[in-house]
Amino acid sequence: MNEQGISRRQVLHIGAATLAGSALSDVLSGPARAATASAASPLYFARFGVDEGLIRGALAAALSKGGDFADLYFQHRVGSSFMLEDGAVNRAFKSVELGVGVRVVKGDQVGYGFTEDLTREALQQAALTAAAIADGPSRELPQRFHVGDPRASRYSVKLRWDDVRPEQKLPILNQLNERTFAADPRVKKVSISFNDESSVVLIADSTGRIVEDVRPMTSCYLGCVAEQNGAREQGAYNVAGREDLSFYSEDRLARMVKEAVARTVVLFEAVPAPAGEMPVVMAAGSSGILLHEAIGHGMEADFNRKGTSIYSDKIGKPIAKPFVNIVDEGTQQGARGALNVDDEGNDVGKTMLVQDGVLTTYLHDQISAKHYGVAPTGNGRRESYQYAPMPRMRSTYMLPGPHKKEEIIASVKKGIYATNFTNGQVQIGAGDFTFYVKNGWLIEDGKLTRPVKDVNIIGNGPKVLEQVDMVSDDLEIDEGGWTCGKDGQGVPVSQGLPTVRVASITVGGRTTGKRG
Amino acid sequence: MSKASPELYEVAQLAVDLALKKGASAAAARAAKSRDVEVRWRDGKVEQVQESTTRGVSLALYVDGRYAAVSSSDLRRDALETFIADSVVMTRSLAPDPHRALPDPALYAGRREMDLQIEDPAYLTVSAEKRRTLSKEMEDAARAVKGAEAILSVSSGFNDNRTESVRIASNGFSGDRVETTFFIGAEVAVKDADGRRPSDSSFAGVRYVGELPSAAEHGRIAAERALSRLGAKKVASKSMTMVLDNRVAGRLVGALGGPLSGQALQQKRSFLEGKLGQAIGSKLLHVSDDPFVPKGFGSRLFDGEGLAAKQRPVFEDGVLRTYFIDTYYGRKLNMAPTTGGMSNLAWRLGERSREELIGAAGEGIYVTGFLGGNSNATTGDYSLGVQGFVIRGGALGEPVAEMNISGNQLELWKHLVAVGDDPYPYSTLRTPTLVFDAISFAGL
Repeated sequence: MNEQGISRRQVLHIGAATLAGSALSDVLSGPARAATASAASPLYFARFGVDEGLIRGALAAALSKGGDFADLYFQHRVGSSFMLEDGAVNRAFKSVELGVGVRVVKGDQVGYGFTEDLTREALQQAALTAAAIADGPSRELPQRFHVGDPRASRYSVKLRWDDVRPEQKLPILNQLNERTFAADPRVKKVSISFNDESSVVLIADSTGRIVEDVRPMTSCYLGCVAEQNGAREQGAYNVAGREDLSFYSEDRLARMVKEAVARTVVLFEAVPAPAGEMPVVMAAGSSGILLHEAIGHGMEADFNRKGTSIYSDKIGKPIAKPFVNIVDEGTQQGARGALNVDDEGNDVGKTMLVQDGVLTTYLHDQISAKHYGVAPTGNGRRESYQYAPMPRMRSTYMLPGPHKKEEIIASVKKGIYATNFTNGQVQIGAGDFTFYVKNGWLIEDGKLTRPVKDVNIIGNGPKVLEQVDMVSDDLEIDEGGWTCGKDGQGVPVSQGLPTVRVASITVGGRTTGKRG
Repeated sequence: MSKASPELYEVAQLAVDLALKKGASAAAARAAKSRDVEVRWRDGKVEQVQESTTRGVSLALYVDGRYAAVSSSDLRRDALETFIADSVVMTRSLAPDPHRALPDPALYAGRREMDLQIEDPAYLTVSAEKRRTLSKEMEDAARAVKGAEAILSVSSGFNDNRTESVRIASNGFSGDRVETTFFIGAEVAVKDADGRRPSDSSFAGVRYVGELPSAAEHGRIAAERALSRLGAKKVASKSMTMVLDNRVAGRLVGALGGPLSGQALQQKRSFLEGKLGQAIGSKLLHVSDDPFVPKGFGSRLFDGEGLAAKQRPVFEDGVLRTYFIDTYYGRKLNMAPTTGGMSNLAWRLGERSREELIGAAGEGIYVTGFLGGNSNATTGDYSLGVQGFVIRGGALGEPVAEMNISGNQLELWKHLVAVGDDPYPYSTLRTPTLVFDAISFAGL
């Protein structure tokens, strides 16, 4: 479809969509140490000729037309992906991205330019392009720039991906393949992709701040196709994190195989889901997709600043039962949604979206924080140097509640227990959202009876939050590789949920009850 | 129709030469450069302006019977040389794959010589002022419609792009492509009495800037569409006739693309495996893949591997006539390659307009938007969120939202009962309004 940049869509999906990275030709320098950017700079980007003079020149050009604020976002990202199909690791993909984006902010207006050529001239040109959003006398830069150190290290990496040889990764794919075929004779095809990435960013802004962050990422997708009596089904399991090779422990590999196969072969027993409004119990873990769509996007402050979110003007108001607490944070060690600093160089913490059932805090970037007169929440994120940042989620989940999983399932006379998802989407203003249930169960008279599959569930954010009437104590953060899409930019996120009951929501099953 | 710049030929040739020098037995490179400008306008002023030129090279490597594909935006000569040398080493670590090879050069031959009319020579004459003026016209027209006091926000924008690319393969392929696109669009958010803030939009895209339709018209349509969403509610779950608006019908058609691919067939992930020559839909499903549509968004003279583009029937009177097979999966499946992906779709059109089809439908739902959902390529099962309007007595009634349709693709297309006269011009799928009977809607 050709809607290009002017389409405004919010989607979430899981799977092997993105390349992630390894095998750097040169060595990563590790997290930047606190120091000034002098000729003897420890900056990673010094190897590309980036020094204080280059940064100062670009920011001066950026503010030459009177912008309020400017920042530079340098990025060097190396990703690699090894794929197994038909029993062999027989293809690999590798990508290198190097570039810098220049943003100029004037009020709530933004000018943006980027270049892949890190020379002084090219950077100057990109900065002047972005500067044109403003129209006035130039602004002064601070005397000195300070290289800040990310205050935390939330990435669990002892062995850097650039130090990992293909020979160390390939046995993981081969082992997963053999174990998946061995797990069930009905498995006919296995496909695996193993991805890793090192992304180094340097953020420099017109307040004199310089921050570098070295961000690892890995993910692994295991998909299989099974056959039984002429019928075929496909299923998958995937894992992701800001982790190193040790992430692929025996436990995790065993779980991947077990889950991928179980989720596939159970589909042979599945019956079509019913249609219409009914109670839905969301299983602990990846059901966090409910929060991502029902409230997370709607709490991103850019929509609220513009008045176009269904949650605009609702801060301080009760929107759910008092035992409902919803968090977005970037501090979980090794999580796919974890960050040391956001893509504007701000500290990343824990933000309460809903506290004791009351709508509490929007997710801010610098522009919205300034608009609302609050501190940024560390939610300013971007896909790459090719994009301006905006408020985005990190890891979104609900805190444990007072109920038990068993009592929640037992409370439902007729409904669905949703356990596994592939994608979701939301309309920010109308509040309508969906999530696609790949695996689930029918609940009949308080018991899980038969599996269901491939059914979309559709609801309205605020209405569904009101309908959350039971929350269990078994919070799980999902380990899957979720990517959130907004305005054409994809960023890695995490999500989690305890077992939760939604008293009523529309299940998009079939009215006939028959296949077809 | 101009040639891509010599600089891109040099980069692509250099990448191929370096690959061979570092030990590859064959290689194909694509070098590209793309300039993109976007203005976003909101509520009376520019919200964001972005302008950039991006470039890069991607390279398919065939080394000792092994295969990898790599890409880089770091085109400094030394960096590129190191990158390609490292990539060749990485490729050697893989398992050999006897099915990997560059395309048979015989399939490069017969490339049609024609002007696809996909490049506007006037591209560089588009001014910042024109982008702003059209964006403003969209907003002004949106705010001038009846009922505009319910409007919360109007976002509009202009995007233009010029991309040139060169592909060179070590077994004799060389080709280039220069194209431009211009898009305008408006999105209008309105406030409902119950606190909902529905929005809707209108977009248009063209190859030649002079052919852009009236910006004001699209602003007006976006506002009217958004206002028509006020008071939307779900209705009872029921099997009903569905009239599918041409601007969103591509969502259902697009779900056929994956299962028609060589990879899906070979990996047993296609419900269309073994169905060549069989009726998949009603006789009204009659579509061809046409790479030569003048000014088409999917128009091309050669495909992503360099195979000379050809027109092909996909469905004739409901019967499946082709799969989309690339070189690699063709060799694995022992089938002749066709092309790895669709270009433009050309539908056999009906004679009735959307309004006539709605009138003829009598009762049902007119679907104007999809929300999430998915389609299972292996089984054909689909379940998709929808919104639209009730059709009652052949006329549009109240808006509906928060509904869902479910079924199986093999069943769905047999229920195609009418095709409109109105192919959607702003997409490669060029879908007309489609009417299906007996669709399972879930709501209340």
